[in-house]
Amino acid sequence: MPHLLAARAQMGTSLAFHIIFSVLGVGLPLLLCIAEGIALKRKDPVWMTLARRWSKAAAIIFAIGAVSGTIVEFELGLLWPTYINYTGQIIGPLFAFEGFAFFLEAIFFAIYLYGWNRLKPFYHWLCSFPIVLGGAASTWFIVTTNAWMNTPTGFIFTNGKLTGIDTVSAIFNPSTPYETVHMLLACYVACGFGVAALYAFSMLRGKRDTYRRYGLLLGLGMAVIATPLQIASGDFNARYLASKQPAKLAAMEGVFTTGTNVPLHIGGFPIYDTQTGKGTFYYAIAIPDGLSLMVGYDPNTQIKGLNEFAPQDRPNPLPIHLAFDGMVGSGFFILGIAGLFWLLYFLRKRHFPEHRLLLLGILLAGPLSFLSVELGWMVTEEGRQPWVIYGLLRTSQAVTTAPFLNYSFLTFSAIYIVLAVTMIMLLLRQGRKPLPEMKWEAVSSGNDESADVSAEQEEQVGV
Amino acid sequence: MALPSLPYIVITVLWFALIAYAVFGGADFGAGIWEILVSGPTAKEQHALIDDALGPVWEVNHVWLVFLVVGLFSGFPGAFATLVAVLFFPLTLALIGTVLRGSAFIFRTHGLRKSATIWNRIFSFSSVITPFFLGAGAAAVASGGIQDLGPKTQANLGSLWLTPFCLTIGVLSLALCATMAAIFLTVEATNQKKADLVIIFRRRGLIAGAVTAVLGAVGLAEAAFQAPTLWQGMLAHAVPLVIATMVIGVGAAVALYFGYYRIARALIIAETAFMLGSWGVSQIPYIIPPKLTVDAAASSPSTQLLLIIGIAIGMIIILPSILLLFYIFKYKGGMGLLSKGATGGTIL
Ligand code: HDD
Ligand code: HEM
Ligand code: HEM
Repeated sequence: MPHLLAARAQMGTSLAFHIIFSVLGVGLPLLLCIAEGIALKRKDPVWMTLARRWSKAAAIIFAIGAVSGTIVEFELGLLWPTYINYTGQIIGPLFAFEGFAFFLEAIFFAIYLYGWNRLKPFYHWLCSFPIVLGGAASTWFIVTTNAWMNTPTGFIFTNGKLTGIDTVSAIFNPSTPYETVHMLLACYVACGFGVAALYAFSMLRGKRDTYRRYGLLLGLGMAVIATPLQIASGDFNARYLASKQPAKLAAMEGVFTTGTNVPLHIGGFPIYDTQTGKGTFYYAIAIPDGLSLMVGYDPNTQIKGLNEFAPQDRPNPLPIHLAFDGMVGSGFFILGIAGLFWLLYFLRKRHFPEHRLLLLGILLAGPLSFLSVELGWMVTEEGRQPWVIYGLLRTSQAVTTAPFLNYSFLTFSAIYIVLAVTMIMLLLRQGRKPLPEMKWEAVSSGNDESADVSAEQEEQVGV
Repeated sequence: MALPSLPYIVITVLWFALIAYAVFGGADFGAGIWEILVSGPTAKEQHALIDDALGPVWEVNHVWLVFLVVGLFSGFPGAFATLVAVLFFPLTLALIGTVLRGSAFIFRTHGLRKSATIWNRIFSFSSVITPFFLGAGAAAVASGGIQDLGPKTQANLGSLWLTPFCLTIGVLSLALCATMAAIFLTVEATNQKKADLVIIFRRRGLIAGAVTAVLGAVGLAEAAFQAPTLWQGMLAHAVPLVIATMVIGVGAAVALYFGYYRIARALIIAETAFMLGSWGVSQIPYIIPPKLTVDAAASSPSTQLLLIIGIAIGMIIILPSILLLFYIFKYKGGMGLLSKGATGGTIL
């Protein structure tokens, strides 16, 4: 594998792996907080059991999130030393702030997880708040850095030297609000559907009890609030790209030449030669004037095409368009599922809809929402190519000179495979543990201040 | 007296973060190193003691490493870019070690009882790799061999970080981690009223401490030849710190011998802090001797100011939280500062 490709492959694999745990690390604490809150308010042992069992799963997920995040953090330097040299100078402090957000999360998560029987119930519940906040803050910080890579501001670059560095203006670069909001919502969407899908699965296998119904309600409750907001925010993102990242929009939508009355292509394959600037769109459903209408509410809105950019600055539209349509398609599908579920739920006077097809739909929505996250990142990252910091540094200039990157890529890929397989085995094992006897005295926190939970007790309360 | 410049404030904060990582993260690695020796009738209890000690805190301790990395590249991007380029291999190995250590620990404590032996091995093996390569990498910096600067510098294949001096410091890091872990575990075992384990770890602490002292002396002697800049710097302004390091080390051993485990723990923390402090002070004014100074490597003043403000706000939130964590899991109901734990048994 060529040097640059190996580096990109390793970076992409690592991020694609890490993002799954990040999403769960941001979303699960909110679910825990809500479940424990309801449990305390109603003194309901079923809700409390949900919180308890999920906190055990979260321990494993968090640990893998931390180690995979560490890989990513090191790789930014190890694989792209020139990139980190620029990034550090201009927007580096954000990474340091993110470090504090990680501290906050890790500290209170440790207290939350290991403190079930050491803290009074109310204090234990309070500990979930800093975790939720820390997760949201770390998302904001890191995605802001990525936004800056897309639309870098806060410096002047002349004759190979950086001057006039202004970190604050780099932080508030134009992409920041759009990207951070969209990503944060994605965490709650994906996490909500992910949890719901698990319970849909066990209900499909005939385990239809209160515990699983509550779990499903919890997941879909979060999802139904976050998903419409997510789609609305995505719509803002796309329109914003037209003005600030036109090359990305052109690649996303397969616009080869600048023009008005640009159609919206759904699906299909934009085959395009970045060198000659010639291309054809195969098998797409074209909605006349669609894109112009979406961007400017007017069929005469002009959309910049890839021909506006020098051949060496053009991204390849094929993977970007497919990824974008995959994200949007999944987005509407999961919205439909969540909407249908709650519609039936309220139409039937809060009677739980348990139709097989609906449960199958929820089961599918879980993986699809995680897929949307991955695809959305493909759009963002591939759409920025060939730049790593748009207009300032090319990916090919940023890469390290270190040899043997092929082996490094293989090693890390092997590590990811082993980690993923082991972790899934572990979570499945925990999930299969029988439910404990759900009595308030047995599951509520802080009952027995003096004694630690014994190993057997721990086993029983598993996930 | 002139106020220290911004870059010196930043590097001092980072040095304290380094000390925090060396002490807390180092002890966690040390516990993993002792896993290799776990055997005999108390094997199960030793595993359990280590699991209990690390469980609630290792992730937080690990964040110090993350903080160090990001602090270094925002405060001193040029130095960071050079280090990751030149030390690509030792850092990649240390990274792999960190990753395997964390995952192996969580896998073996969360239920994979059947395959736990494999993960136990990975846990101890990776606990050896990381401190060794981090130590060797640090020694490569200190020895003044990194003369080509910038992100496009070639990765070094070993001539810089596998010298006798670097190997000594790599093994010294292991020995120090093992000493700290043993001492921390004497306190944990005393808290859990497990006298037999206290005695095991007291003995290990004393032996590992002696090894650390010997390696420290060897390293110091080697520095005179292999790390001339560092040696000169030490003679110029770090002699008192080096002497203090030695005295504190002896104190820790005495406290450990007589069973004052909490005092021994405080002293070994101080010992590590002074050891790293002596290194830092000897290096002044260089961040990567013998060419790159702290001032020359620093990012722009506005970036540094923002960084310092952010760190100050962050620490106000984080330090009390860390204290709370340690209070809940390490102090509440534990042994008193001046109380004496179990002693006895043969040392050698
Ligand atoms: C649950 C996941 C999810 C769902 C349902 C959607 N998205 Fe999304 N999208 C993401 C998850 C995501 C993401 C993974 O989180 C990205 C990658 C970078 C980012 O900030 O968010 C993203 C990026 C992203 C971008 C690129 C932003 C940039 O590069 O600056 C656009 C234009 C959209 N999205 C638009 C949409 C639209 C129009 C959707 C309507 C259905 C949509 N997204 C649904
Ligand atoms: C976690 C979600 C993310 C995913 C799934 C993701 C995905 C990817 C992928 C697939 C690549 C390879 C692209 C290519 O070379 O074709 C890449 C590259 C890269 N990403 Fe991201 N990314 C994510 C977030 C981020 C963030 C938040 C940052 C910055 C702080 C970032 C920085 C980089 C860098 C520096 C590269 C290498 C240079 C390049 O190829 O442009 N990524 N990412
Ligand atoms: C290039 C991009 C990224 C880098 C360098 C990075 C770095 C890291 C690091 C070093 C950690 C470990 C912290 C610890 O030790 O506890 C971590 C965890 C985490 N990251 Fe990332 N990250 C990146 C992308 C993202 C994105 C896009 C998100 C947001 C959705 C995110 C959210 C998180 C969260 C929530 C955690 C805590 C996970 C947990 O403990 O389970 N990260 N990340």
